[in-house]
Amino acid sequence: MAVEIQREKYRSKVGEVVLGATKEQGGSRSHTITVGGESTLPFLHFEGDMPNRPVVALEILDMVPEEWHPCLEKYYGDVYADPADWAKKCVDEYGADLVQIRLSSADPDLKDSSPEDCAATVKKVLEAVGVPLIVIGCGKAEKDNLIYPVVAEAAAGENLLLGVAELENYKAITSACMAHQHNVIAQSPIDINICKQLNILIAEMSTAMAGRIIIDPTIAALGYGIEYTYSIMERARNGALQGDKMLAMPMIGNIGYETWRTKEANTPADEAPGWGEQEARGILWEATTAMAYLQSGMDILVMRHPRAAALVKQNIDELMQDNSY
Amino acid sequence: MGLTGLEIFKHLPKTNCKECGAPTCLAFAMSLASGKATLDACPYVTDEARAALDSAAAPPIKLVKIGTGDHQLELGDETELFRHDKRFFHPTGVAVLISDTGDAAAEAAAFDELEFDRVGLHYVTDVVAVKCDSGDGAKFKAAVEAVAAKTAKAMILICEDPAVLAGALEAVADRKPLLYAATADNYEKMVELAKAKGCPLAVRGKNLDELAELVEKIVALGYKELVLDSGARDTSKVLADLTQIRRSAIRKRFRPFGYPTIAFTGKEDPLEEVVQAGVYLSKYASIVVLRAAKKEQLLPLLSWRQNLFTDPQKPIAVEPKLYEVGDVNEDSPVYCTTNFSLTYFIVEGEVENSRIPSYILSVDTGGISVLTAYADNKFSGEIIAKAMKEAGLESKVKHKKIVIPGHVAVLKGTLEEESGWEVLVGPREAAGIPKFAKENFA
Amino acid sequence: MIIIGERINGMFKDIAKAIRERDSAVIQEWARKQEQNGARYLDINVGPSSTEPVEAMKWLVEVTQEASDLPLCLDSTKYDAIEAGLKVCKRPAMINSVPAEAAKMERVFTMAAEYGAEVICLAMSAEGIPKDAESRVALAMELVATADAFGVPIDNLYIDPLVLPCNVAQDHGPEVLETLRQIKLISDPPPKTVVGLSNVSQGTRDRELVNRVFAVMAMANGLDAAIADACDDELMAAVATARILLNMDIYCDSYIDVFKKG
Repeated sequence: MAVEIQREKYRSKVGEVVLGATKEQGGSRSHTITVGGESTLPFLHFEGDMPNRPVVALEILDMVPEEWHPCLEKYYGDVYADPADWAKKCVDEYGADLVQIRLSSADPDLKDSSPEDCAATVKKVLEAVGVPLIVIGCGKAEKDNLIYPVVAEAAAGENLLLGVAELENYKAITSACMAHQHNVIAQSPIDINICKQLNILIAEMSTAMAGRIIIDPTIAALGYGIEYTYSIMERARNGALQGDKMLAMPMIGNIGYETWRTKEANTPADEAPGWGEQEARGILWEATTAMAYLQSGMDILVMRHPRAAALVKQNIDELMQDNSY
Repeated sequence: MGLTGLEIFKHLPKTNCKECGAPTCLAFAMSLASGKATLDACPYVTDEARAALDSAAAPPIKLVKIGTGDHQLELGDETELFRHDKRFFHPTGVAVLISDTGDAAAEAAAFDELEFDRVGLHYVTDVVAVKCDSGDGAKFKAAVEAVAAKTAKAMILICEDPAVLAGALEAVADRKPLLYAATADNYEKMVELAKAKGCPLAVRGKNLDELAELVEKIVALGYKELVLDSGARDTSKVLADLTQIRRSAIRKRFRPFGYPTIAFTGKEDPLEEVVQAGVYLSKYASIVVLRAAKKEQLLPLLSWRQNLFTDPQKPIAVEPKLYEVGDVNEDSPVYCTTNFSLTYFIVEGEVENSRIPSYILSVDTGGISVLTAYADNKFSGEIIAKAMKEAGLESKVKHKKIVIPGHVAVLKGTLEEESGWEVLVGPREAAGIPKFAKENFA
Repeated sequence: MIIIGERINGMFKDIAKAIRERDSAVIQEWARKQEQNGARYLDINVGPSSTEPVEAMKWLVEVTQEASDLPLCLDSTKYDAIEAGLKVCKRPAMINSVPAEAAKMERVFTMAAEYGAEVICLAMSAEGIPKDAESRVALAMELVATADAFGVPIDNLYIDPLVLPCNVAQDHGPEVLETLRQIKLISDPPPKTVVGLSNVSQGTRDRELVNRVFAVMAMANGLDAAIADACDDELMAAVATARILLNMDIYCDSYIDVFKKG
């Protein structure tokens, strides 16, 4: 008996965004990465296209992390002190598709590094690796607004993904991206309405920037409200496929950062004997968080533990297998 | 939704006899679709048409139960494709696989302990699957009995030889295990066995087409307590098949697919298994079977299940009480917030980040956030003071200072009056807590 | 709900003149204006008094397509004119319209199947427009079943329950709304629904207000499209707002602009 295969007819698709630029394109990356372009829900190849596989970025800081779990030291301990070496290890040994550097040292409460120092670090990391780069500020808006133009200019031509723009603070970073042709992360606080509004405001500053936005819906880790973001992402993606252009952007999430703040990833086995061994638990807490977001449409997963990243890349490989009927 | 006018029309005699009172069969079909008429008004409708129209009115996915008593698991009866459209109702059963070639008793004993407490909730690994790998009837029976003796949870018996399965089932039939599986080769005997013992039956096809065909044959034999397996084992194919089964059942009321589903992981590495199982759990499997059996492996999966199956309309609350973060003593700071789980966990995370052992008083606001609760008068000076008393704060710390969220700074006055404590106004966003703590309590 | 811009119609004097003088600028100006203000289709009607409807339709289609990429809604009672228009349409078009009369359905549905066109189906027969919802729905059902038999996909159909001016046929209002609801029960996927919005306010003093209120009421009852004045900003704002309130679009502060831009 031939079963009638159910295929949704969608009106539209997610826009594609190219990250990085090769020498021919005015940058110095060994290759570019394209994200987005889906014309169906995640991995439903039987009814639409998913022309670009979701990618895994590993995150690094521009200083020795103060609060990372000790179990990560055996992977990164030898390179914590040098962001360039750290980035290189992420790519060469742990197979990162991209690297995300957070300019933590610029935080006025930490090292208060100058915008020029930050730019120099970014340049060093660009020299060390060939993959496209994601650059995130220190999280203090006033300081970040000084950093964006300097970093954007220093990395002109590299087609970075720069973050983050927020509803209360999107102009400085958007201008910097416009001036030097980078892409921008538009972050909204687990709120689909603000997500859409922010995209509109950025697009109003420049129509070209509308095609350079990556949505960061602000994710929560497994066990800490993951289902809120999961549903917001599913709604946004459904909206995009049904023709809502202001939600039709690829999505990114800081999975490593959120996961490794949780009790479940960090608590040693002897303090929580009912939860089993700590490192494997942390790895799966991160990988399961990523798995769920892959199912709700995430395109760029920023991760921390190399084993979790490998598990997720494996999962993506499997899910990208054709399943048409 | 119910049947459409066109679907009903197909089953009508199309004679336009007008005896039902409607001018045409088309008009009568529309009256039926909008619930204004009943089929009884048509004197010429056939029994076949009536049966077809009745069955279309049943729920899109049948509710199937496995196990008995406290450990009974309800599967299926879902109505949505996305949780945000309403909710998912019956959490995926997570089953651990035990082979009859290993130490079934020991594995079953370990399985029975796979229960977890986190954030005030209790998570349970709810099903145990016993598989006949030995091909030996006696061995399988012994393994099934050993497992049954060690755990009272719901069971799946995996064996495609009806005779061997019947032998093992003798001992545990009253536990109503799920029998796996009826296939094109054995279905008649399997159905006979399932019917005789009143056990649910899994049905496996080589693909969706064969599965649908098999289900129709089994239903024709008079059995409907079914769980579906499309036979796919590759992650991407399983995702596609589970999606098709769910969509066909809900959107098209395709009866052969109107049953719960079962999916199996196919990995050596238990970590990879958990991720794969997570995909199936996210996208519609009613039961997922895996080998991974360690606590650190199942806790993440069960947490995801808990999160996914919450009701999106209902705020999720934590138990309103006094929580301890770290190694607290009588000098530890005290924060207060609401019992909306998202708010509480964010505050808890940041208090942890502050590295100063502290108390958090989670006040009962019916699970709504700080500002909403304040606006609703569920987070007032009086209510907080009452919660402080009930939590016995007086006897826990000696400093008589409490921190309130910055957004409700306005409560400072009344809370000081009501409680007699000094009220510190904390930061507006939880992210400011570490800095606030450093400045005030370090 | 989407808006089918009604302005390129020979009933309007400027359009009739432009057609007579083959002045494409006037037509194209209206095409652009309606598109910018949120129209998703453009209705094309040569007007009742045209002496050369076939040639005029062909010309109108061609010049409109030069200015706008929107799909066109070819509006005529003369099916030869519609067919001439369909031949030169670059994108699948909509045929406006066909009643539930056997000969006309055969002509129109054959044409629709051949050109992959959508069709506006009128809930009326040779006997005229029925008053009660039940009879309107029965006609809709007949249109759907016939279209299905001719191979026109059901989601290519727009049923028009036929709105009458509220000052002469007030009692039709609730029947039309009920018809809109019941049409969704005909099939799965159901046919879409459409109304000629301006009919409801024909001869009333506050026409725009009547149009706007009825549009919102009809949307709440499932209306999918309206042939209407896309340049009425308050109507467009009301429609955009109703879409938000009906959870058809995801809210953001700039939702009216987003609706207009499509």
